[in-house]
Amino acid sequence: MLITLFVFPGFGFLVTCALLFEWIDRRTIARLQARVGPPWFQPLADLLKLLSKESVLPRQADRPICRALPVVALAAVLTAALYVPVGGRVIYAFEGDLIVVLFLLSLPALFYFLAGWVSGGVYSILGGSRSVLQYFSYEVPFLMALSAPAILTGSWSISEIITQQAEASWMIFVQPVGFLLAVVGLIGKLKRVPFDIPKAKSEVVGGPLTEFSGRKLALWRLGVHIQTVAGVFLLVNVFLGGGDLTLVQGSMPLGLARAVTFGVKALAMLLTLSVTSVLYARLRIDQLASLGWRVLAPLGLVQLAATILMGIS
Amino acid sequence: MTRITIPVGPQHPLLKEPLSVRLTAEGERVVEAAMRIGYVHRGIERLTEERSYVQNLHLLERVCGICSHVHTTTYCQGVEALLELDVPPRGLMLRTLLCELERIHSHLLWLGVLAENIGYTTIFMYSWRDREIVLDVMENLSGGRIAHAVNVIGGVRIDLEPEQVDAIRRRLDQLQEQVDDLRDVVEHESTLRARTKGVGGASLEQVRRHCAVGPLARAAGLDRDVRRDAPYAAYDRLSFEVVTEAGGDVWAATRVRVLEVFESLSLCHQILDNLPSGEVSTRAPRRVPEGEIVSRAEAPRGEVVYYIRSDGSDKPARIKIRTPTLPALSLVREQLRDINIADVPPVISGIDLCIACADR
Repeated sequence: MLITLFVFPGFGFLVTCALLFEWIDRRTIARLQARVGPPWFQPLADLLKLLSKESVLPRQADRPICRALPVVALAAVLTAALYVPVGGRVIYAFEGDLIVVLFLLSLPALFYFLAGWVSGGVYSILGGSRSVLQYFSYEVPFLMALSAPAILTGSWSISEIITQQAEASWMIFVQPVGFLLAVVGLIGKLKRVPFDIPKAKSEVVGGPLTEFSGRKLALWRLGVHIQTVAGVFLLVNVFLGGGDLTLVQGSMPLGLARAVTFGVKALAMLLTLSVTSVLYARLRIDQLASLGWRVLAPLGLVQLAATILMGIS
Repeated sequence: MTRITIPVGPQHPLLKEPLSVRLTAEGERVVEAAMRIGYVHRGIERLTEERSYVQNLHLLERVCGICSHVHTTTYCQGVEALLELDVPPRGLMLRTLLCELERIHSHLLWLGVLAENIGYTTIFMYSWRDREIVLDVMENLSGGRIAHAVNVIGGVRIDLEPEQVDAIRRRLDQLQEQVDDLRDVVEHESTLRARTKGVGGASLEQVRRHCAVGPLARAAGLDRDVRRDAPYAAYDRLSFEVVTEAGGDVWAATRVRVLEVFESLSLCHQILDNLPSGEVSTRAPRRVPEGEIVSRAEAPRGEVVYYIRSDGSDKPARIKIRTPTLPALSLVREQLRDINIADVPPVISGIDLCIACADR
């Protein structure tokens, strides 16, 4: 139990994945932008450097809350990741774990808002309120996109959704629009270009995290990267059939084959995120809101209605 | 609604040079902007009075870190007129070549800065990569990437070998291809358009009232360019279009600058094709006869004016420089009213700030 919790697929595995994902992401973006990009150990070096640096807060900041927030945010995304199966392995699973994961993954937006509010800088407050405004735009379509598979399979358990996909067909083929909405929602959740509005440096410097430094900033950053891992794994599980073996059937031992397929799918998902962030300029918050409510949310509703009708017939 | 004050600068990720803008905002709307300038005032105008005409060349090259060549060009033109010197045509051509290369470099640099400020890192990286080609060409010509020290009173100090001309042509053709791609992105990419179109529009009346010049004024439809209206150096022997747009928003300013890059590329080719033979400079005396003169040139950001007064000694009695950024700053203060906070970066970068020029 302790090994599953701390080594695989628990904390150690997640942190390794987070650093690896960060490197692949940065490297891909760099190559696409005609740069070289960082060496493989750069994310680890960044993390260790930040952990060892002095942590300064402004006088008007609320110290206890500022100290607690990054830890709580990290804990939330780590807990979320515990319920997400990795290539067929899962630490905890029960009926309804999809809802728990969705809830825990949406918590960081709230913590960002709080961080902006209590750390006492004008850029932090602006960034924090943008974080909440953005939350309202992407979260609704994201939730609708992820509830459609659950309604279709009749189960709110991620493992059950994976099993049913293996029997029928992957959700991405059944619900391509839902998958698209989920990816857009995930980009908003992870505050990546073109939805990096809360931390737009030319507008609000560092956004909600402007006043954080040293160990606190390191934990915030680690939290975001683990959120990336959890989000990517979640989408792979719900829409791409998780460790489903349609591609490499019979060529390898079962466990290894599952792990490899899952890894390949996760990598493809991550590369999609990286490529998207190279293509666009940052949107304005009102442009995001109108995209969210005029395009994404109605699409999500249509998708949801279609799913329910399919379920009835 | 409660008002908050957002300090932008003197140190801020948006600004590459120190300028202080204090925005008063209600929610996400800016209602008022106050500006402070002078953070990089170096007293250059006063310093010129302490130095000889030749020494001033090196000082004035450092007024601006981007358009260094156009400052010495304007200065040399003025002093040459006071001395009634005839600069050899080859010298004038080479001077013009550097002016146009500098314009390309400045416009590409600006495009990168704008792209970065609206969160479009890819275009930032691409346009600065392409700018390297111009910098290489300029280094090959003069030995300097930014400060070229090419102008001397009476001509230029560099000359071109025929094989150098071919090498430059090849590099410029490569640049043309790459900038073609950039133009495609600027004209067709939807998020870039969404962030710049209709943002910070300046009317023709506003432009006239604030005496704005250069691409900023041409984006609002003001058809004015010193290169055509009062040809200096070798511009009377070259043909080019003055690019104008309507609307005066950041989108129009972007189009003006990108299209001007193509005009400049064509000018460079014309110069390389029609390079007259002969000397590149004439000898100039140390002392300048008594008199005063106003010299003008079209810098990448618009008209630069030098007023030079001589008392007959080897040092100028007074030099006054008027750079394009100062009127642009007074215009931008008006544009920063009643806009979204997210529109502040494109509006401020849209005018192509050069604080070093403005403060001197």
